[in-house]
Amino acid sequence: MPTFDFTTLLWWGLPFAAAPVVIHLINLLRHKVVRWPTMEFLLASQRKYRTQILLKQLLLLLLRVLAIVGLVGLLAQPRWTAGFGRLLGGQQTTHVVLLDDSFSMGETLAAGTPDEAEEDLTAFVRGRRMVARLLDDLAATPGRHTITVGRCSQLAAPLETATPATEEAPSDRFDLRDELISPQNLPALRRVVDGLGISAAATGPTDALRSIPPLLNGQAAGVLWLVTDLRSRDWQTAEPMADILQPLAAAGVEIHLVDAAVGGPDTDMEPATQQPNLTVERIEMVGGVPASDVLLPWQVTLRNQGTTEVGPVPLAIREDGLERPGIQVDAIPPGDTATVRFESRFPTAGGHLVEVELPPDRLAQDNRRTAAVEVVDEADVLIIASTSGAGRESPDAFYLATALNPGGAAATGLRPRIEPPQALASLDLSQFDSIWLVDVGRLTAAQIASLETYARAGGGVVFFAGPTTSADAINQSLFRDGDGLFPAPLAGAVDLLPDPRNPEAPDVIAETHPVVAILSGRRNPFLDAVRIDRYMAIDRSYTPPADGGFRRLLSLRNRAALAVERPFGNGLGVAILTTAGPLWNNWARNNPSWVVVMLELEGQLARLRQQHTELLVGQPFDVTLEPGIDQIDVDFLLPPHGAMVRQVAAATDAGQLAARLTETDTPGGYTARWQTVNGTSREQLIAVNINPAEGSLSRLSPAELGDVLAGVPFTYDRADLLQASGDRGRGASLLRPLLLLLLGILLAEQLVSYVVSYHPVRRSSP
Amino acid sequence: MTPGSKQYLPPEVLARIGRLDLRARAVVDGVLTGMHKSPYKGNSVEFLQHREYTRGDDLRRVDWKVWGRQDRLYVKEFEDETNLRLFLLVDGSASMDYTPPRFQDAPGLTKYDYAATLAASLGWLGLSQGDAVGCAVFDNQVRASLPARTSRSHLAGLVSTLEQPRQQQPSDFLAVLRGLAETLPRRGLVVICSDLLGDRAGVFKGLQLLRQRGHDLAIFHVLDEDELDFPFEGPTRFEGLELPEELACNPRALRAGYLEAIEAFLTEVRTHAARSRCDYQLVRTSQPIDSALVNFLARRARLRP
Repeated sequence: MPTFDFTTLLWWGLPFAAAPVVIHLINLLRHKVVRWPTMEFLLASQRKYRTQILLKQLLLLLLRVLAIVGLVGLLAQPRWTAGFGRLLGGQQTTHVVLLDDSFSMGETLAAGTPDEAEEDLTAFVRGRRMVARLLDDLAATPGRHTITVGRCSQLAAPLETATPATEEAPSDRFDLRDELISPQNLPALRRVVDGLGISAAATGPTDALRSIPPLLNGQAAGVLWLVTDLRSRDWQTAEPMADILQPLAAAGVEIHLVDAAVGGPDTDMEPATQQPNLTVERIEMVGGVPASDVLLPWQVTLRNQGTTEVGPVPLAIREDGLERPGIQVDAIPPGDTATVRFESRFPTAGGHLVEVELPPDRLAQDNRRTAAVEVVDEADVLIIASTSGAGRESPDAFYLATALNPGGAAATGLRPRIEPPQALASLDLSQFDSIWLVDVGRLTAAQIASLETYARAGGGVVFFAGPTTSADAINQSLFRDGDGLFPAPLAGAVDLLPDPRNPEAPDVIAETHPVVAILSGRRNPFLDAVRIDRYMAIDRSYTPPADGGFRRLLSLRNRAALAVERPFGNGLGVAILTTAGPLWNNWARNNPSWVVVMLELEGQLARLRQQHTELLVGQPFDVTLEPGIDQIDVDFLLPPHGAMVRQVAAATDAGQLAARLTETDTPGGYTARWQTVNGTSREQLIAVNINPAEGSLSRLSPAELGDVLAGVPFTYDRADLLQASGDRGRGASLLRPLLLLLLGILLAEQLVSYVVSYHPVRRSSP
Repeated sequence: MTPGSKQYLPPEVLARIGRLDLRARAVVDGVLTGMHKSPYKGNSVEFLQHREYTRGDDLRRVDWKVWGRQDRLYVKEFEDETNLRLFLLVDGSASMDYTPPRFQDAPGLTKYDYAATLAASLGWLGLSQGDAVGCAVFDNQVRASLPARTSRSHLAGLVSTLEQPRQQQPSDFLAVLRGLAETLPRRGLVVICSDLLGDRAGVFKGLQLLRQRGHDLAIFHVLDEDELDFPFEGPTRFEGLELPEELACNPRALRAGYLEAIEAFLTEVRTHAARSRCDYQLVRTSQPIDSALVNFLARRARLRP
């Protein structure tokens, strides 16, 4: 049966079909008057031809009405669809709309059409309006239409419950599911669509598309509308998008790619890359100890996603929601990053939030980033030292503890705790910010296991060498051919011999490493004053793996390593191959660089334990509880207004007791609160942020889109221009036949009009 | 010169001549210029009777001998004194006053104007040849009449009679023609200038009565262009001039039927005219009057032995 692309035009135009009848009636009222002598002949004619005249007039009127109807129908773009099935209601068209709600769809756009003229127009709003228009259009289109609407962030399966490809997503993830479109339920459907909001997720259409095939397979007529912003990162995925769409196309599904990020002045396929968009890519604490009243250094990384340099850029800073003086970034090169540092100080222990924010630009959601920091009164640092036979404290441990907590006005926030090696197996190591072992002899297997568990979980362990240190023991139990925590195999203790050719050369050389960055790059009188007499040499035959993360912090003048590190699990193992005390060197004795390097190293190790406390939007927030100590009810307070969600902890696969919050859809600070069995309140704060990669507004070019979807038939539409029609592309166009029919009607009208009209004949006088 | 080659006076030109006598003279001048001498020239001088002089009689007909003997004025009348006794009967009913819409742009002659001018021209011609000419204007009765006279000054009376105000009444041919048949004293040529709209049976009956009384009949069937062609367009309401009827219609749709009906009417009239041996001529008001006259005279000439 016929359908029309522009149904609205049809309904507006059809009333004009009454024009001939109205004109006819008006003419009947506006006739002229003639006083006529031969009335009898006129009356005779009228009596004789009354029926014929009436029929001719009706025919003429009918032809004129048909001509107007035909013209309006022509303008409304008629099509012929599979008629009988639909006429009988047996065939339905299934429309599936996949709406990309990743936050890049929040890009502010210029209005493309007059009805888009508003300030807060975004690609998502434009796409949502297109879906609303589609609903209107389908409601006015004859036939039976059902619609399913889903958003990518909702349809993409969470990682822990990833469903196999081609398995249908649960119905509750769709905003509309197989809803029949009719004029009666159109308002309700419109309310749902108008209420759809953008997410803070970075989920592209790829994952969501996997749940679509079951919806359309087996449908006689299926149409997929993918409303997206065509960001490069979403489409240039490991699994080609064509592999996902090809089976749909092969099954006869009509695929429409609706571009919501182009329109108005942005008629180019890649407009957004020309516009600056700044992203807060990272905020991290870069040293210091998160203790109360201790200055904490922070570093913010900003990325310029545009193609022109941007600057100066003001950066607002908030601590626990309170504004504090902002800072400014002078310039950010195009496509590159810039870093800026600031410091914060928290007077009280507990969880705190640090938030930075850029001024508004094309994309608002990547302008802000939050970090959570757990501030303690003092951070415990465990120093493991062998005690002398008389039970006196090791001098190495003393020098190290003094460096980490000098006392007096120099608040480091650290609380060193010196324990014998046996404590490694008896203490809960997770409570320590870092663990330092100073000239410890052979450790037991339990002690090593405990230490490595700590390191795997993100802890940092520092080994100092000394007379008690056994190279063989280290190699066998702690290095274990690279499987252990110790960074490198040892050869044995050796003396650093003087260099007669250059007796003034400093013994210690700072390598390129953040811990010693403050000492590197120029002659440092404090570091130059360090004299190393003896050290533990690394086995000369050892060559660290290229991808093992092995790095030097310090070297000796003979190019032997003095301090090295190697990652272990999520943590780090550091070896300083001389004594902490002034037995093999003079470093710890009255040399300020000793304190500086030790504090920097501690900050590095502490940051390791904190770097995994940031979540991305959509990732679950797990709170691990202590069985028997903590109660199992955990209250999660959600940003931005502190809405509370209570979760009950359950045993995880790893055998832990944990409570999980999956509703991490909003960026900001999340707080988990629970009680211990003895009534003590506990709290954990975590920052949830957007994925900064989504801040890239780079879009696919037409050629790239063609490459990505090679072999897949699809229609590219612009959301601002699309007057969606349920039957667009479906059924044959009736334009030509209707045009011919219209010409026929016009010819017939002229013919009938000629027949019923008067045409004077030229005649000569009789 | 043949009638067809003559440059006739178009009716719209005649319409600019306000006075009927001048219009008639213009027509007759044209006719005489283009015609041979009259075929109606009389030759009888046999005395019939005296009668008392009346105003308007030609003084040359006064019998001066009688005046000398009796001091009274008598005029002499002769047998076949005139070539013809011509009686002009002009239809002055309401239908003759149909004013076509086209006159709003270019004034012309109504059917009555045309018929009156035609009658006056015939009268002028007749008087010029010494014929006795009388006339009457009628609708449902004779509204004005003038007996037949031969005096040239009689034309003024003729014109005056034709210009009498009319009553806008429907025609009643039977009554009028019956009356004429009874009152016309002598046989002659009765020329009827009319659209013949009315009771058709009455028309034919009346003509038959005149014919039975020995009158020679000639009919100028005067119809307007609009009546013959029905050129109207657009929604129109027609109101009857004589019939109390009206009809709102699209004239284009009724035209064919109308033309059929009027053609049937003309055929019927022609048939009855031929049956009654009437000299019938259909004239359109757009046709030059002198042309109609010439045609008429030529036809009459062919009829004379």
